[in-house]
Amino acid sequence: MSHVIEMNRVSKIFNDKKAVDGISFTIGKGSITAVLGPNGAGKTTMLSMLLGLLTPTEGTVKVFGLAPKDVKVRERCGAMLQEVSVMDRLKVREIIALIRSYYPQPMDMEFLVRATGLAPADLNRYAEKLSGGQKRSLAFALALAGNPQLLFLDEPTVGLDTTARRRFWDTVRELAAGGTTILFTTHYLQEAEEVADRILLFSQGTLVADGSPEDIKARMVKQSLSFLPSGDAAALRGQLLKLAPVIDCYDKDGRIHVVTENTDEALRAIFTGGLAVRNVRIHQGSLDEAFEQLTHNHEEDMKR
Amino acid sequence: MRIVAMQCKAEMLRIFRNPYYVFWSLLMPILFYFIFTRVVNTGADDVSEWQAHYLMSMAAFSVMGSAIMTLGIRLVQERTQGWNTFIRITPLPSPVYFAGKMFGQTLMHLFSVICIFAAGYLINGVSLTAGQWVLSGLWILAGSLPFLALGTLVGFMKRVDTASGVSNVLYMGLAVAGGMWMPLEILPKVMQQIGHWLPSYNYGEGAWEIVGGGYPQWSNILILLGYLAAFMLLSVYIRKKQEAV
Repeated sequence: MSHVIEMNRVSKIFNDKKAVDGISFTIGKGSITAVLGPNGAGKTTMLSMLLGLLTPTEGTVKVFGLAPKDVKVRERCGAMLQEVSVMDRLKVREIIALIRSYYPQPMDMEFLVRATGLAPADLNRYAEKLSGGQKRSLAFALALAGNPQLLFLDEPTVGLDTTARRRFWDTVRELAAGGTTILFTTHYLQEAEEVADRILLFSQGTLVADGSPEDIKARMVKQSLSFLPSGDAAALRGQLLKLAPVIDCYDKDGRIHVVTENTDEALRAIFTGGLAVRNVRIHQGSLDEAFEQLTHNHEEDMKR
Repeated sequence: MRIVAMQCKAEMLRIFRNPYYVFWSLLMPILFYFIFTRVVNTGADDVSEWQAHYLMSMAAFSVMGSAIMTLGIRLVQERTQGWNTFIRITPLPSPVYFAGKMFGQTLMHLFSVICIFAAGYLINGVSLTAGQWVLSGLWILAGSLPFLALGTLVGFMKRVDTASGVSNVLYMGLAVAGGMWMPLEILPKVMQQIGHWLPSYNYGEGAWEIVGGGYPQWSNILILLGYLAAFMLLSVYIRKKQEAV
């Protein structure tokens, strides 16, 4: 059982609507995986099945080689859910102590207190009186209460300010370095790119891409060239389209843009052909664009 | 064992830190008690018997209320606010979660009974034998079980508003029709016949018997057990149905 998580052809159907459609993947120990996708892509449904809150309609879900509902699994997992709620009329410190008591080997209290980032005065306040962001920080500490080997975070940084966000990811990286496996959902691409070593890209309940942020970027992001014409722009465009590496060209902001699979070859062709261009720039597409393109393409495929 | 102790402690703290509870669970019954034994002349033949009788009515009324309403509404709140979902993904066994709730409730009931009994003593100098005080107190605590089960049923409701409305109606309906506000004998005949079969009447009746110098009837015990069994079965059924996702 080298896999921490194993999903095998998992589908979940709610009232005839397929929220998750035939997803398979495995996750190894100590990795940080981002489940990325727009709203309604099936991220939370998938997470709920991993947490044993929902039963898959088809397929199997295994966590640590066991069913997610197994108490042995629950003892080794922690989760921060999207909908954060706290028990009312209990002080922050009391809630943390209570949740710690549920686990056989809880996380050190001081570590948890530090993870919340709350001031000592706030620790003695009633949890329901905390602000939204503070509640999320508390929820994060509660997710860690059992010293989990596998940590699920469902859109964890929504509502956190910059400082809290940074502290949050620092703690997550620290945990991953210590061998904790982390799976988080997000629709912030930047977050996935910065933190995760693997991205599972979801769209319409299916897994449309799976790889390291660099992989996904290399595969999906289109590079392009742009330059200013030295002579007649229309003639130049005609010449450009005859070059083999050039897929397309268009005008934007007074510059001619060239779409190509390989910028090196396109440049070589342009210069060996002696085309009248100046002020050449190479554009590296962003993962953001790739993300939009991927999910968008996929949505169009679905409509066909 | 530590888990159970922690859970019980947490539930106890939560209940006693909720000031709303004081109003509904203590103030109203004590106020009623004062009004119907000191202000309004009820024309009872034996005044001191009536004072002890009505004290039991109000203690039972208070405990029944918190069993149905406080428990039910809290359960709905915890579910709708997502706290329940979080608990489900922790290793906390659900029987322990439930046991904690019951423990908190029972402590609260014990506190209510002591306060209301003390109020009876202070307001009217109600005097019972030590055995009667203890036995009636225990009866009120133990007899609250079917109402806790009813509270659990209320707890399955989807929205806090619904739960609060329904439990209020149930609570007041049971109290009036079961002779807690006024003796069943002054109600119309039909109401009396229905009343005899209600859990609230049999609950009060057990305590009334004790302060009257007797013991609860077997019929009181059996009817309360019957309601307990019915509510629990229904609750297991609903739980199974709700969990089938």
